Amino acid sequence: MLNKSLIEDVLSAALTTGGDFSEVFVEDRYTNNMKLQGGRLETNLSGRDFGVGIRVFKGLQSVYAFTNDFSQEGLIQAAKTAAQAIQGAPTDKTIVLPMEKQTLQTLHPIELLPNSVEKTRKLAVMRKANEIVTNYDPSIAQGIISVVDEEQNILVANSEGTFAEDKRVRSRMSIVAVASDGSDMQTGHYGPGAHQGFEFIENLDLNHYAKEAARIAVTMLNADPAPSGKFPVIIDNEFGGVIFHEACGHGLEASSVAKNNSVFANRVGEKVASDLVTYIDDGTLPNEWGSLNIDDEGEKTRKNTLIENGILKGYMIDKFNARRMNAESTGSGRRESYKFAPTSRMTNTYIAPGKSTPEEIIANTEHGIYAKYMGGGSVNTATGDYNFAINEAYLVKNGKIDKPLRGATLVGNGAKTIQKIDMVGNNLGHGAGMCGASSGSLPVNVGQPMVRVSEITVGGTEA
Amino acid sequence: MELTNFRDQLFAKGEKLGITDLEVYYEKQDSFSCKVFKGEVDGYESSSVRGVSVRGVYQDKMGYAYTEKLDEESVSFLLNSVQENAALMEEEPEELFEGNVDYQDYDFFSPALTDVSAEEKLALVKEIEAKILAYDERVVQVGYAALSDQSIEKAIFNNKGLALQDKNNFLYVIFSVTVKEGEEIKSGFSFKLTKDFATLNADEIAKEAVEKSLSQLGGKEYPNKKYPVIFQNFAASSLVATFVSSFSAEYVQKGQSQLKGKLGEKIASDHVTLSDNPFLPEGTQSGTFDSEGVPTREVTVVENGELKTYFHNLKTAKKDGVESTGHGYKSSYKGTIEVTPSNFYVVPTENKYEDLYSGLEEGIIITDLQGLHSGANPISGDFSLAANGFYVKDGKIAGPTNLMTIAGNFFDVLKDVEQVADDLEFSPGGGVGFIGSPSIKVKSLSVTVD
Repeated sequence: MLNKSLIEDVLSAALTTGGDFSEVFVEDRYTNNMKLQGGRLETNLSGRDFGVGIRVFKGLQSVYAFTNDFSQEGLIQAAKTAAQAIQGAPTDKTIVLPMEKQTLQTLHPIELLPNSVEKTRKLAVMRKANEIVTNYDPSIAQGIISVVDEEQNILVANSEGTFAEDKRVRSRMSIVAVASDGSDMQTGHYGPGAHQGFEFIENLDLNHYAKEAARIAVTMLNADPAPSGKFPVIIDNEFGGVIFHEACGHGLEASSVAKNNSVFANRVGEKVASDLVTYIDDGTLPNEWGSLNIDDEGEKTRKNTLIENGILKGYMIDKFNARRMNAESTGSGRRESYKFAPTSRMTNTYIAPGKSTPEEIIANTEHGIYAKYMGGGSVNTATGDYNFAINEAYLVKNGKIDKPLRGATLVGNGAKTIQKIDMVGNNLGHGAGMCGASSGSLPVNVGQPMVRVSEITVGGTEA
Repeated sequence: MELTNFRDQLFAKGEKLGITDLEVYYEKQDSFSCKVFKGEVDGYESSSVRGVSVRGVYQDKMGYAYTEKLDEESVSFLLNSVQENAALMEEEPEELFEGNVDYQDYDFFSPALTDVSAEEKLALVKEIEAKILAYDERVVQVGYAALSDQSIEKAIFNNKGLALQDKNNFLYVIFSVTVKEGEEIKSGFSFKLTKDFATLNADEIAKEAVEKSLSQLGGKEYPNKKYPVIFQNFAASSLVATFVSSFSAEYVQKGQSQLKGKLGEKIASDHVTLSDNPFLPEGTQSGTFDSEGVPTREVTVVENGELKTYFHNLKTAKKDGVESTGHGYKSSYKGTIEVTPSNFYVVPTENKYEDLYSGLEEGIIITDLQGLHSGANPISGDFSLAANGFYVKDGKIAGPTNLMTIAGNFFDVLKDVEQVADDLEFSPGGGVGFIGSPSIKVKSLSVTVD
């Protein structure tokens, strides 16, 4: 993508003002974005992103510059601009990279590269999903189906001799069903994705995903307003894991831990969660949405156990925060694109399965809320306070799932909530999402089996 | 490759391939940002990025593609993508704007802002951070101390003769503060956006960020019920921003807006006037033409509660038989033409913020809202959001509440606005357009306190 001697020159130029580490990240990415709404193809866009990010460290100082001027002059100029921010003793280091790039045995085999597949073939799958959605029920007003895919080629080189390339291929289908009874509108959504080519889209079980999206919309149309107050809350598997992604995952990233800006900082070895909780981030799961061969700093991804049986074991760490924490990278340095300096981020994060069956958990709950599908949410990592929407909620009465509820939001504190998990199911599942933070918007999986929290505040419209 | 050369090659090769109408939209963004942590430089970033998007009509259908790499390979990639993407479209092609009209004469580029050195910017952030840390012993952390500036150049060329260029720049600072008393932790922030670096006052910014955070300490539980609610300016603007798509003709025509069929009707109380002004000197979205090249103008969308117009681009205007309001914007060269506001705000009145609660026996003031991207349905208007704020008793602020959730419907809120203050602020959040509001008082909303 850039020749080796130019990369070496840029790495060297970045160190001329006394920096102790320099890095070059090159990205060449092809993307396609198609959206079918109400049976019509509304968006059909192709693009090519290309650019270079240059990073310099000196101790705990970090500087980043990026450009898509890929001429020799443009890149050397960007490296020098970055170097200007480092006020150290001028040096004259020459960086020499290894002769050959690091070769990787991919953990995520790809069959059909997105740009090798005719768009008519993609559209055919989208139309099929739309048909299933619109035929589900007379109250379905329309389906909104999109397919987004990309081929991201990256190269990472640094002054410590890292010189590696990777190809990431991702495909995702998003199915939105809109149901209406004339006065009211409700939506249902399902968005499966993978680190895979078009084979993922073509092999999707549309009968499951499209029908679920439609069923959620129709169910919510006939739901009662959610009550407010404190309840035991049962959160189902797959995307249900989003709550612990926000409430705990972000607080376990070095970007907040290194600066003591997290309730989990300096607590390795302490009990931070209920005994039933084992929490893992694993970037190596084959072809999963959040998986990578190497992270965006060139480190191999791995399986990091964050919490084991309630005891805090470790954090997700990138190279820069590793300096502040006096620790090693855990292969967690990620960035949306060359436009972002990397930082510690999640990949596929999940609560490990427990022993209870979903049926047991519901049967053991006298009066509570069952969150079948979660929506999005956010967390203040400094305080751990979070908020989440429930996309499909039910009242649980006398150990049975009762009427559907709409407009339910969960608010609480992550550190407290994980101590209140009192049942963990055996049905681990993962769900695809996009996670936004300081290094941009990234594909991540959230996951868990069904879990029950003894008490969460539910904010509903029925005061 | 230079832009003019790239454009000429594209037009020439496009014509040979049978692409009739062809447009090049160019954007170049130069940015600088720095962050400080405990007196040290914690982040320092400079960038220069450009991109080109192309749309063209092939066999009576329009195709789109973009690139960030301006080379010959990309010329072929763009034209092939335009052809392939156009082939699948069923819609009538969008029309390219021929221009030949007058544009307002405004300049939104401040050369003085580009003269401020990186050292000066960094020094200001360090100064403010130090002042925050020294302000009160309950300050435990400055979570975020940052400055960012951007200079954005736009150009549009098409083979029907349109050739426009424009430039805008601005700078902003944002500070977030964490305070702690006993076991209670709270945070607050200060945000300032300007074109004049000299107006940034370190003492004022530090004071605002810390006072906002300290004022939240000592949160109490209050009964869950319906209260009169005052949204402070930042909270009100973030609420408006969440539901702004309802005013877009694109959403109206797709049946995704509750405002469909409501033109000329009262959709809000008499106190609500909503205006869109593309010529605000300090607006991040200010400009004299939109992304289709149509001249922009000031538009009153809601006047004393009555819905006067939707936002339009060329395509939605044609469909409704009206003129474009100059709101055909692209989020960047990566996007397609949408219908979005420029600088859109609730028009302030003479009322003081204090007037909004001084007459209340009991009420809730909301200082900030969270979960707007997940706890709100932009189509139905329903929201259930986490919020911080204060409890009002006998016309006075009695103290902060624990974390709350407030629930209701945006379109009901519009009708229930009883007072609007004079303290217009624009929301720092990203998203669509640059959205502002003064503090507003709403008759009643359902509040749950954690």
